[in-house]
Amino acid sequence: MMADYIKFVDVTKCDGCRACMVACKNWNDLPTVTEEYSGSIQSHAKVNAHTWNVITYNEHETANGGFEWLFRHQSCLHCVEAACEKACPEDAISHTEFGSVVIDHDKCVGCGYCVQNCTFDVVELATYKDKHGKEYRRAQKCTLCTDRLEQGLEPACVTACHTDCLIYDEKEKVLSEAEQRLAKIKERFPNANIYNPQGIKGTTTVYLLADKPSVYGLPENPKVPLSQIVWKDYAQPLGKAMFGVTTMAVVGSVIAHAMNREKGEHKGGQDHE
Amino acid sequence: MEVNVTRRQFLKLSGAVAATLAVVELGFDEKSVKAQSEEFKIAKLTPTPTICPYCSVGCGILVYANEDDVVYTEGDPDHPINEGTLCSKGTTVRQVYTSEKRVTKPMYRAPGSSKWEEVDWDFALDKVAKNIKETRDKTFMEKENGITVNRTDAIAYLGGAALDNEECHLLQKLFRAGLGLSYIEHQARI
Amino acid sequence: MTNHWNDLQFADVLMVIGANPAENHPISFRWISKALEKGGKLISVDPRYTRTSQMANVYGQLRSGTDIAFIGGMINYVLENELYHKEYVAHYTNAAYIVADTYKFEDGMFSGYDEATRKYDQSQWAFKTDEEGNVLTDPTLTDPNCVYQLMKKHYARYDIDTVVGVTGTDKDTYLDICKTYGSTGEVGKAGTILYAMGGTQHTVGTQNIRAYAILQLLLGNIGIAGGGVNALRGESNVQGSTDFGLLYHNVPGYMEVPTGSEGDSTYQGFLERITPTSGYWVNKPKFYTSMLKSFYGDNATVDNEFGYHFMPKIAPGKDYSFMRLFDAMHRKELEGLILFGSNPVVGGPNSFKEQAAMANLKWMVAVDLFETETSAFWQKEAGNDPASVQTEVIFLPACSSFEKEGSVTNSGRWMQYRWQGIAPKGESRADLEITHMLARRLKELYKNESTPAAKQINALYWNYGDDDHPDIELVCKDINGYDWKTKKQIQSFGDLQDDGSTTAGCWIYTGFYPENENLAKRRDNTNEGMSNFLNWSFAWPANRRILYNRASADLNGKAWSKERVGIEWNAQEGKWTGYDIPDFVATKGPDDPTFNDPFIMMAGGKGAIYAASKLNEGPFPEHYEPYENPISNAFSSVQLNPAVQFGEEEMNAKGEADKYPIVATTYRLSEHWQSGAMTRNVPWLAELVNHMFIEISEELAKEKGIKEKDKVIVATARGEIEAYAMITKRFKPYKLKEKTVHHIGMPWHFGYKGIATGATANRLTPHIGCANSTIPEYKAFLCDVRRV
Repeated sequence: MMADYIKFVDVTKCDGCRACMVACKNWNDLPTVTEEYSGSIQSHAKVNAHTWNVITYNEHETANGGFEWLFRHQSCLHCVEAACEKACPEDAISHTEFGSVVIDHDKCVGCGYCVQNCTFDVVELATYKDKHGKEYRRAQKCTLCTDRLEQGLEPACVTACHTDCLIYDEKEKVLSEAEQRLAKIKERFPNANIYNPQGIKGTTTVYLLADKPSVYGLPENPKVPLSQIVWKDYAQPLGKAMFGVTTMAVVGSVIAHAMNREKGEHKGGQDHE
Repeated sequence: MEVNVTRRQFLKLSGAVAATLAVVELGFDEKSVKAQSEEFKIAKLTPTPTICPYCSVGCGILVYANEDDVVYTEGDPDHPINEGTLCSKGTTVRQVYTSEKRVTKPMYRAPGSSKWEEVDWDFALDKVAKNIKETRDKTFMEKENGITVNRTDAIAYLGGAALDNEECHLLQKLFRAGLGLSYIEHQARI
Repeated sequence: MTNHWNDLQFADVLMVIGANPAENHPISFRWISKALEKGGKLISVDPRYTRTSQMANVYGQLRSGTDIAFIGGMINYVLENELYHKEYVAHYTNAAYIVADTYKFEDGMFSGYDEATRKYDQSQWAFKTDEEGNVLTDPTLTDPNCVYQLMKKHYARYDIDTVVGVTGTDKDTYLDICKTYGSTGEVGKAGTILYAMGGTQHTVGTQNIRAYAILQLLLGNIGIAGGGVNALRGESNVQGSTDFGLLYHNVPGYMEVPTGSEGDSTYQGFLERITPTSGYWVNKPKFYTSMLKSFYGDNATVDNEFGYHFMPKIAPGKDYSFMRLFDAMHRKELEGLILFGSNPVVGGPNSFKEQAAMANLKWMVAVDLFETETSAFWQKEAGNDPASVQTEVIFLPACSSFEKEGSVTNSGRWMQYRWQGIAPKGESRADLEITHMLARRLKELYKNESTPAAKQINALYWNYGDDDHPDIELVCKDINGYDWKTKKQIQSFGDLQDDGSTTAGCWIYTGFYPENENLAKRRDNTNEGMSNFLNWSFAWPANRRILYNRASADLNGKAWSKERVGIEWNAQEGKWTGYDIPDFVATKGPDDPTFNDPFIMMAGGKGAIYAASKLNEGPFPEHYEPYENPISNAFSSVQLNPAVQFGEEEMNAKGEADKYPIVATTYRLSEHWQSGAMTRNVPWLAELVNHMFIEISEELAKEKGIKEKDKVIVATARGEIEAYAMITKRFKPYKLKEKTVHHIGMPWHFGYKGIATGATANRLTPHIGCANSTIPEYKAFLCDVRRV
């Protein structure tokens, strides 16, 4: 068994060049999703079905009146306990041996439960057309370039990163180096922290943040809702055994509805050709 | 061409073998994982090293192309400056080829016309050569104040900062030494 | 760059002024980051807080166009606090030289000025010499007329309060920068200055760079690893295109273009004019003659002065530079314009006027990958009525860099080969092929004629193959040079001759292709020390990686620092050894009188703190305000650089501060490049930055009632553009001594063609430039801003 690897994002090393954004599109052959002018240099409000990572730019006034222009590589964190996986009624979402959370598009039916339940608002639905012109949807997000990992190559975003803000390496080594780096940057960034939320048993993309998670729009201590765990780990296997798959999908939609309420208003998928 | 290139790998062992073993061992969906491996987009392509055409850092890029398309471009891991990394511009160099906006045929715009017409190379080059000759013959100064000057001040040349050295050499040689232009300028001036 | 990209990791302090490497040379940050990880400090000096500023330890705000005040103050600080490298200054620079009594400086003016021509008589700034012409020196640096004392006097006026009152920099920050950067004057320390067009695109551009160089000489930072004056060049081969003489005033290898003056009427007279009596340039006749032999082959003989008279001679005193070219076009003096990868409608100053001038052309040829705003200048979208534009336009599709093969020279002077990755798209062709096809057709048209015009082109030696596909090997050999008789390639430029027996297309590259190996193709990335990678590609000249590397060692030839060994005198071996190729003959020992003369291209071999000639506005950089500026000059009563030349009046309307009170500047973004043809047509880059914007401070936005995402109009004396407002904390009003001034900025990449389109910033910029280089003053002008 190979060592655990993680993707590590040291935002204090990011110079905001956005190579990771286009490296992802280049490797994964993703189309453009051009957004309206946002008022800042940021290209996309957040990641979307065809833009699997986004650099966010935040003009931040610090508590002591200083100024920091905070950059963050935003993408799927590949949660160890992944809400999207729990929410999926079709078992289309799974963890690979690399810890990456991937979506099997042969199984995905585009129901959008993963979109609605993602802890970090990362998964989106992409709309495609089949050969008869009929529209269908599939959930899309960063795969951690699992196909590259299988070949011993780093994720495309990591390969492109010139400041080593993004690295892909052995978990234990990275986390211990992260502690040292954290100590080093505390003087300039007193609120700096390592973001590897334990409420979801950690993530396969770990961040070193320059300020509190909330400054970056990240939940301070995320958890997978109990209802999802009940649904995935108990109700679904049991139900499939008792009622068969079709009936279970109906039950699933009821529970998913409950989950949506738990999470609040949903933003909807994105449609792009 | 014999150019040695390597890939930047995070695993020292053969990744493909490791992956196959892991799939069996851990019992993940073999079908989808395997399908991806087979479609590994650069598996059968030999990359060609080039240097980034944008800024002057001079980063190495590997171009993965099949016979009729550029499939992928990535930083050259052997290059001592960028060591496999690239910025956003260098990363997208693939689309300099694939962009639908590329002009792929010579075009001609007649005086007063409101549109381009596609023309063939012979037509275009003959036009250019004829224009240069006409203007040059009309304006060529052999002598000025009794001194041999052999020049024309009626044709200007601009450009070159994104061209190859060999091209710059021929352009300078043709336009200055061969045609006598004095107005030879390029981006270094602006 | 005197140094190169990997070398940045060896700096103790890096000062970025007039550049934004995190955005415009991102991979430089791979090496800057390494310096910072080792405890190095990064200083960012810029009118606005950039992505580079965020990566820096110190950010200093500086009003556009005040670099000389900023650096002048640093020079003063370094001198007053004796932070300079004393041994280096005394022995490796011209600090000890004594200046003639005719040199004077008073109220912003040097001696010898002629108001009518706006030119100085530079002979008044000469050094004092003995009867034999040797420069007098005072090694104690105490003579009141020695360079050191004159410099001290000159910059004593640049006290901290005056400086920050002009630049708008916070005083404490400024002091911090002076102290931090000044610390590199300590023996063994290294500081580097990184600059780009933020330094050069000013009416005082060349003197800005001179100021950086003086500071670096004072601190002993040139010639050493982690040091240098480093121009971060903007395009992949702007180094090469300049090396190869694509400018009106240079032939390849930085040699002069002959003029139609009496002195240049013979080759002998011309050579005498351009060849100095000492320094490496004494070899110029060898380089020039070899170049003429490359140009004219058998038609260059001893009897016809090596074909010298086939070379065009420009009108004496006439300025043919970029802006004057458009002035001439405006005056209908030009019939034809040939563009190879050039888009002045977006990239030129006062570009709407330049576009209007194009309608005066009879014909235009545009060679490019994409339809540019320039090639389409006659279209309705450009604001023209096509029917009224009588210019015939031919567009020739070029292929991209990896659809052909050839070399480019990066900012660190590395000549690197690019192999062909795929066949040219569609019918597009390599520029090399296009040039060759054109040359063949022209030669064919002229072959039976004997007019003077025909004689010139018929004399041109064009031996690159007999069909439309040029043999690039032959071009490479032509650049390197060979023995005319044996056709054997020359090993080094030291072997070139002035008798017509050798050729060299561009002498500084001679040696890149000795015998059978094109060294630009080398891919051995072994680091044999100090990351100079001597076996990777080829660096001109002679594969040297750090220029003036003699200065990396002390007076005995020992490295100033064990951590930064460049080359050292090895007495045992009787030669210089180390990690670089010496900048001079490697066996030059302590007995040689020039042993301690590192600056080999200077007569006398010393670094020029004082420039006795060559610079049009004076031997020391002096602060003058930009052409358009909001305040009076605090250093003298002279407002504008007195040596700046004005072009065609109609091309250069001037705005005054009462109507246009806001300072504006232009810049580039990480995601786009130059006039945008190669990025605004690339979908993924167009997606990253799809909208033209104007960066405005929160304070100015409030004053003008501008809200987030509003569209604004920026107006200058040249014109107006409309774009989105980007309200940001990264621009702040400037608290100057006289008043508070607002400052805005905008990218200049946009135009109306391509996928990402937007207003062209250069419609706003003035048509005036540096008194030496004539590079336009894009970086500082006045405007007003209003909500749409």
